[in-house]
Amino acid sequence: MKKKTISLLGNPNVGKTSLFNRITKLNQKVGNYPGITVEKREGKITANGNEYHIIDLPGTYTLFPNSLDEEVVLRTFINKENSDYPDLVVVVSEPNTLNRGIVIYQQVRESGLPAIFVVNMEDELEDKGIKIDYPKLEKYLQTKVLTTDARNGKGIDTLIENFELQVPPYFGALELPSEFSPALEEAKKIFPLETEYKTWLHLAQEEAVGLSDDSIAQLKAIRTKYNITTQQLQKEEAILRHKNINKEFENFVQKSENKKLSNTEKIDNILLHPVFGYIIFFGILFFIFQAVYAWSGPLMDGVDNTFSSLGEYVATILPEGPLNSLIVNGIIAGIGGIIIFLPQIIILFLFISLMEETGYMSRVVFLMDRWLKPFGLNGKSVIPLMSGAACAIPAVMSARNIENPKERLLTMLVTPFMTCAARLPIYIVIIGLVIPDEKFLGFNLQGITLFGMYILGVIGALFSALILNKIIKSVRKSFLIFELPIYKAPDWKNVLNTVWEKSSGFLIDAGKIILAISIILWVLGNFGPNDKFSNPEKYIALENPHYTEEQIEDDIIAFKTEYSYLGYLGRGIEPAIKPLGYDWKIGIGLLASFVAREVFVGTVAVVYSLGDEIDIEDEGQKQTLLDRMRSEINRNTGMQTYNFATGVSLLLFYAFAMQCMATIGVVRKETGSWSWTLIQTGFMTGLAYFTALIAYQLLK
Amino acid sequence: MQNKISLNKLKRGDIATIISFEDSNLPAKFFELGFMPGAKIEIKHKAPLNGPICVNIIQNNTLIALRVTEACTILTDKI
Repeated sequence: MKKKTISLLGNPNVGKTSLFNRITKLNQKVGNYPGITVEKREGKITANGNEYHIIDLPGTYTLFPNSLDEEVVLRTFINKENSDYPDLVVVVSEPNTLNRGIVIYQQVRESGLPAIFVVNMEDELEDKGIKIDYPKLEKYLQTKVLTTDARNGKGIDTLIENFELQVPPYFGALELPSEFSPALEEAKKIFPLETEYKTWLHLAQEEAVGLSDDSIAQLKAIRTKYNITTQQLQKEEAILRHKNINKEFENFVQKSENKKLSNTEKIDNILLHPVFGYIIFFGILFFIFQAVYAWSGPLMDGVDNTFSSLGEYVATILPEGPLNSLIVNGIIAGIGGIIIFLPQIIILFLFISLMEETGYMSRVVFLMDRWLKPFGLNGKSVIPLMSGAACAIPAVMSARNIENPKERLLTMLVTPFMTCAARLPIYIVIIGLVIPDEKFLGFNLQGITLFGMYILGVIGALFSALILNKIIKSVRKSFLIFELPIYKAPDWKNVLNTVWEKSSGFLIDAGKIILAISIILWVLGNFGPNDKFSNPEKYIALENPHYTEEQIEDDIIAFKTEYSYLGYLGRGIEPAIKPLGYDWKIGIGLLASFVAREVFVGTVAVVYSLGDEIDIEDEGQKQTLLDRMRSEINRNTGMQTYNFATGVSLLLFYAFAMQCMATIGVVRKETGSWSWTLIQTGFMTGLAYFTALIAYQLLK
Repeated sequence: MQNKISLNKLKRGDIATIISFEDSNLPAKFFELGFMPGAKIEIKHKAPLNGPICVNIIQNNTLIALRVTEACTILTDKI
């Protein structure tokens, strides 16, 4: 049995991923390309007596990369030593944009790779008013041309059989413009073994992918010498190729009226309408958030109950002691704390991937670019910003398809300002404490405040983008050009597959960090440096001689927390947070929150000796926590701890501070830079500190 | 007579032929998506307040959106 690597390549929106899902029968895995964080989708199948390793490359219009995603394609093709270097490239195309498919096919062949050509969505030919003469097309492309329909699986088996095809050699490479010949001849000397076109590919890139710094500098010198730019070379090639193809095109394709496009036009007249377009978009947005919060409630309760009962069950079967407590309160509670966000994330990604599958997402980019551009962002930033309302982790990752490095960086830096699901429980508790449950102009004040917090997140993101936009220097000019694909019914397999990938990715990536930190937190909270921690009864009795046995029992947990390592840390940071109106108990909550915000509620519950099994969805339990917090006195000021000023200060702090280890980790991975990650953390937390400080000092 | 006009000045429903590009640094992606001299286009949608412009590249029958900043460097001949 032989092993062969097959690469799927093609323009975006040609149904390549559906085809990949069909070929691999979803027997696939998603990882990262080494060194960069672009998603790598690969699968394995056995057929024709051989084993095939199939790679779904990111969609691209050309081998010249415009974004991080697209760079992967060239990186895979340029070096024969690369373990993903294909034995066969399958160029996927669709009837409507056949000429663009041919362009990339020719680039692949001229780089010296064997390839076959697939026309996908074949059943739409008639609707699209297109007739293709396949024998003539095969002759022109000098390879086998196959037709498939990834939606119903037509043609897939034949395609797989053709993985064994001996692709005939390719003749007649593009005649490169003669004005660049001297430069090209000189470049050839650096790469004596490469095809002419491959040398041209190197020469026509600013930072040629896959080459040594040395060769890149040499190529740069050649370009300077002959006074040519990479844009010029790429542009000339594109124009030349399209011209050549158009000359032949009518020989194998006949076009009449395109019915699909006229349907798309009708829909676009409404969805891209200067007024209704926006109303519909915001309507959809509202519906999504409604769904995320309303539908996820019962599921989240279910997760919560399952994990509480699991915890209780494990607590009873394991012998009492530190191990029991670590497993129950550290590990099981930690895992539960991650899984609880899964329903919201699944629902949000369901909608986002539906919007992408149907083609609506590009329309959103079209509608929103004008409004985001002044902030240094890009229409494509909408997707990360929207996803940020569920969880910043997958949101930051979705910024990958923004071409301009500066706009991509800005988007990643400001996305964590969006009000993520983890902030919600804190907002609910604090708003419940300090905002009166009264009606104002017919609206519930608490509800208005919560809504205001969401708006605040958006304002925080845009305002910070504005500032950072002034600071960050742009390397490349910002531009935006994108295709608005034809509307189509979603391929549910794709949708579910995407949702599964994103959710499981979140669970694993964020989960690892949250779990690790939960354990550390548990250790810090459950061990103390001295006798006050190990013998609390003695000290409580000493301090409060009149306490009954029962009162002492009640105070033990709180006392132990105060004298645990965590308590010492809380008191250690007290001077810094005093001006914001917080005491050391809130300090512990804040420290814990730097791991993940959602820990706050559980932590204060422990500090106020209510046990950490507080469920704020449960009215009774919520009231107990609220009552306990309301009666709390700040021993620095002698006033109520959770008064209006402290409450507002806390809300502002949580709205702006970067308090999520997992996000920090993802930003580090995606930006590839610790300095940007630290600048972001510093900027957000600094902003949080100062707004909270000002609010408290003004309101107290 | 030729009606030379930059792409951003065309109105919705206008059909034009692309003549030339004034900005030599225009990313190659524009050409790859079908903006090239001689290509026939139709303006399909314009986002309000100088927002992006959606253009139908007639030969490919595709819809491509671009910003005004790039559109004003593309010279067309209105038909």
